[in-house]
Amino acid sequence: MSPLNDDKDSITSSFYLTKQTSFRIAMKQRIGVYICHCGGNISDYVDVEQLSKLIANEDNVVISKDVMFACSDSTQKDMVQDINDQKLDAIVVASCTPKLHTHTFRNVAIRAGLNPYNYTQVNVREQCSWAHSDKPMDATIKAYGLIRAGINRVKYSEALENIEITAQKAVGVIGAGISGMRAAVDLARMGNHVYLIEKEANVGGRVAESGKLFMTGENGKDVIDRLYKRIKEIPEITVFTNANLDKVSGSIGDFTLEVSVKDEALKLNVGAVLVTTGFDFYQPKEGEYGYKLSDNVITLQQFNKLIETSNDKLVYNGNAIKSVAYIYCVGSRQSKGENKYCSRQCCSAAIHSSLNVHEKFSGVKAFHLYRDIRTYGKQELLYTESSRKGDIYIKYEEKEPPAVEVKNNKTVITVKDYLTYKKELSFDVDLVVLVTGMVPRSDSNDISSKLKIPTGSDRFFNEIHPKLKPVETVIKGVYIGGTCQGPKNITESVQSSLAAASKINTILRKGTLELEPIVARVNAETCLWCEKCAAVCEYDAIKPIESNGKMIAQVNTSTCVGCGICGPVCPSNSIEIVQFTDNEIESMIDGFMEKAEINTKQDSQENEISSGKQIKLNGFPKIWREIASALDDKTLTIPQLSEQLGVESNVLTWHLMTMNRYGVVEPAGLDEDEAYYMYKLKK
Amino acid sequence: MSHINPDFADDITKFGAKDFNLCFNCGNCTAVCSLSTNDATFPREMIRYSTLGLEDEIKSSLKPWLCYYCGECSSDCPRQANPGELMMSLRRWLTATYDWTGLSGLLYKHMSVYIGGMIALLAAVVGFIYYSGLSKEVVMHYGHLFEMFAIAGVFAVILLPNIIRMWYFTVIKPKVKAPIKVYFKALSELFVHMFTQKRFLGCEDTKENRTRWLLHFILVLSYLSLLFTTVFLDWFSTSSTFVIWLGYVESAAIFIITTVFMSMRVRKTDAMHKHSQPSDWFFVIWLFLMGITSFAVRLLIDLNLINTLFWVFTIHFTVLVQWALIIVPFGKWTHFLYRSFAMYFERIIGLNNQLKK
Ligand code: SF4
Ligand code: SF4
Ligand code: SF4
Ligand code: SF4
Ligand code: SF4
Repeated sequence: MSPLNDDKDSITSSFYLTKQTSFRIAMKQRIGVYICHCGGNISDYVDVEQLSKLIANEDNVVISKDVMFACSDSTQKDMVQDINDQKLDAIVVASCTPKLHTHTFRNVAIRAGLNPYNYTQVNVREQCSWAHSDKPMDATIKAYGLIRAGINRVKYSEALENIEITAQKAVGVIGAGISGMRAAVDLARMGNHVYLIEKEANVGGRVAESGKLFMTGENGKDVIDRLYKRIKEIPEITVFTNANLDKVSGSIGDFTLEVSVKDEALKLNVGAVLVTTGFDFYQPKEGEYGYKLSDNVITLQQFNKLIETSNDKLVYNGNAIKSVAYIYCVGSRQSKGENKYCSRQCCSAAIHSSLNVHEKFSGVKAFHLYRDIRTYGKQELLYTESSRKGDIYIKYEEKEPPAVEVKNNKTVITVKDYLTYKKELSFDVDLVVLVTGMVPRSDSNDISSKLKIPTGSDRFFNEIHPKLKPVETVIKGVYIGGTCQGPKNITESVQSSLAAASKINTILRKGTLELEPIVARVNAETCLWCEKCAAVCEYDAIKPIESNGKMIAQVNTSTCVGCGICGPVCPSNSIEIVQFTDNEIESMIDGFMEKAEINTKQDSQENEISSGKQIKLNGFPKIWREIASALDDKTLTIPQLSEQLGVESNVLTWHLMTMNRYGVVEPAGLDEDEAYYMYKLKK
Repeated sequence: MSHINPDFADDITKFGAKDFNLCFNCGNCTAVCSLSTNDATFPREMIRYSTLGLEDEIKSSLKPWLCYYCGECSSDCPRQANPGELMMSLRRWLTATYDWTGLSGLLYKHMSVYIGGMIALLAAVVGFIYYSGLSKEVVMHYGHLFEMFAIAGVFAVILLPNIIRMWYFTVIKPKVKAPIKVYFKALSELFVHMFTQKRFLGCEDTKENRTRWLLHFILVLSYLSLLFTTVFLDWFSTSSTFVIWLGYVESAAIFIITTVFMSMRVRKTDAMHKHSQPSDWFFVIWLFLMGITSFAVRLLIDLNLINTLFWVFTIHFTVLVQWALIIVPFGKWTHFLYRSFAMYFERIIGLNNQLKK
């Protein structure tokens, strides 16, 4: 016997009703339950037909059905009809994950005039049929428990309204580098006021400091000048330079940024914040590849300045430079160090610098000491061009880095070349250029603590999900763009900040915004304002308020994310999360633990299905029976069936594939023109 | 510790290499090369050495000679770095390196010197024939004598010392201490390769390759035996019908096969013939001329027209002199010799390694 079958059904529901609570709600009386076959994904292992019969006997359940595809249009229509006809006051859908279909079925409820929060999703696919495909019986028992838990939960469900808040149509952009500037332009064009807040005296950040940029060949300063000119023409953008972000308060739709510009203190009211604070270049340590020990070891940034300011001849410290060694991955990809990541743009940047040297000066030899060349995308052309120009590439490994020494006034490099059987090579060069990577800004901790943006193990700001929510942070209304999030080149930085800009615009556009009401709430009668909950809330969502002559906790519903940390710490059990109340959770446990009495599957579908005129196919769609009788003793193609039954061929294809899976039909070769498959009944 | 020499790339470019800088060391070329073995992998390694300019490594390597330029590697290289052509250029570079006179390098790199030399020899021959006042029979006799002495001289003064140098660079300097008996044991390799070029068959076994090998084989055989026929059997003066016919067949084979090879170069049918250098052209054209003019001279002798059409002999003699004094000692002809010796040395090194084990 399965441990799930423990005898534990003695707890009565009255336990909950007698419990001290100020949010007593009417238990739902007319519940509809839909259990999905998922075209066999579920019903191959979980006996959904039996479950639907058993569930029909549960208290307060008015309808219990097993359906082929719960998410299909026709089933959705049936559900709407059931809700209206049977006056259902809650529904449970037992199918796949809530991630996939919560919105689908909430919309079903809305269409039927039912509050969307009076619906509960139960996952019997990932959690039952897929996870326990080796034990169909146990999978069925587990599904039974989960569905009962869902029914119990939905009994306590409350009708909820989304939280609506008014939003300031203004955005604070922190950092006026290329990402922030470019995003400011778009945000303003979409009708938002933008405060562009820059710490330095000038806008433009790193790009303004760079010379020629790769791929376009433009000058960084020119790009920034153009952009800045455009910004100055847009009245909706207010630029503050020499400005410091002192404090941030408020929440999505209504933040207050306290900014000091020189001696003046400003309070800016914004609906959202875009953080584009950028990065720092890695600073090599003294002695790292001879840095600071030899005058002839400089960083790529210094070298780029040198290329820009030299005319005719490349001269450094009075010496003509005829050979340059570039050492890659300095400060990046440290398998044992802090910066484990690849800085993405430095391979391209170094090769681009080398090409600039060839273009401007003649006869300069280049040695590239690299670990891997990562000139992805179009930047590969730079690498090809540099190879063609005769640049020498030498591959070293992290565990055997090149050594830079000064011998008799010469800068000598020794390196084991992994492309020549680790042969030790030595050569002297006039200049060593360290290709340094990107690191988080030294002041990024300050920003992250003020805005509460989490940082990753690489110390860059973290998005919610790198693929699905790449510019959002866990703090509602705070977005990140550009390199404050991690290494990016200019194109990628601007792409991400523009993505953030349009995200911000979608929330601010209407002037109001709706948030899910799944937040914490306080029982005003019992709360003593002991401050315990406020202390653990990471989102600063709890503040005291006076109520009936005493202080109690108040939750800011627009900042609360419903994380639930506050609930367990409350000594008087006065704070709980909507939709996850004690009543709901405890009743779910009871429902799950209730004894399950399941019959072993005796008459499997195969037995039910018999070909010939009397095809039963009970519990399957009507169309299956029609297809089966059309195919009786015949083989037909999809277009023929479509004509005969008057059903669209794509619908037929889909049903035939499922019937094939169930062993009702099988393909019978191609037709005469070899254009279509023919199908016949499986005997 | 090896020293990088970035200027080597420019140097090797003068010997015909192109685009090998584009190599990104994927190793496809080595993987597809049917002649590369686990003990001797190429051509990627040679490309790497060339990029880094590790001259000592290249100088001591026999690998360039192991390549027969089937062109597989060049057609499979994802970077179009032309590895096959680099191997060819390395052979030219090695020829120049082995040559103690330094003339090979000079002639490879400077077309003007090459053409100047050819013209000077033409002038010398014409001057000798028409202004020395010697009779036609005496001139032809001297021609025969020249052929004999030129062969002996070129071999003793240039080719032999160069082969010794090659041996020094590739066997002695890398400290291969092989006992004499190994040298004898490996000797068969030398002759087999010299006459059959059988290694060529190790390339992709296609119909074209087999035909090419067969043509090549007949050409080598005809060339060597024509040499023998003219020098030792004195073809131009002999009265033996057998020898006369033998000479005809040999010279005809030479000019027919060279015509086929020339048309391949013009049509660039395969990788080997895609990047013809001037030295390649000189080689095949002069070989063709050698065949056709000696055929013509003997024909005129047989028709008793040689005295009236003596200019034909003048041409033949000029071609012969240019062939013997420029193309054989300093040009592509030496590849044939070095390649056979490379197989020989390679075998010695292999046997010696076996012995050590
Ligand atoms: S982009 Fe290149 S140089 Fe930069 S960290 Fe990555 S691999 Fe190293
Ligand atoms: S922990 Fe409980 S009692 Fe204390 S302030 Fe929060 S809600 Fe009130
Ligand atoms: S649920 Fe989380 S975010 Fe909301 S008040 Fe409680 S601790 Fe704060
Ligand atoms: S195939 Fe081309 S790129 Fe690859 S190693 Fe050979 S020459 Fe280099
Ligand atoms: S040309 Fe042919 S034989 Fe020579 S290296 Fe390339 S694949 Fe090998």
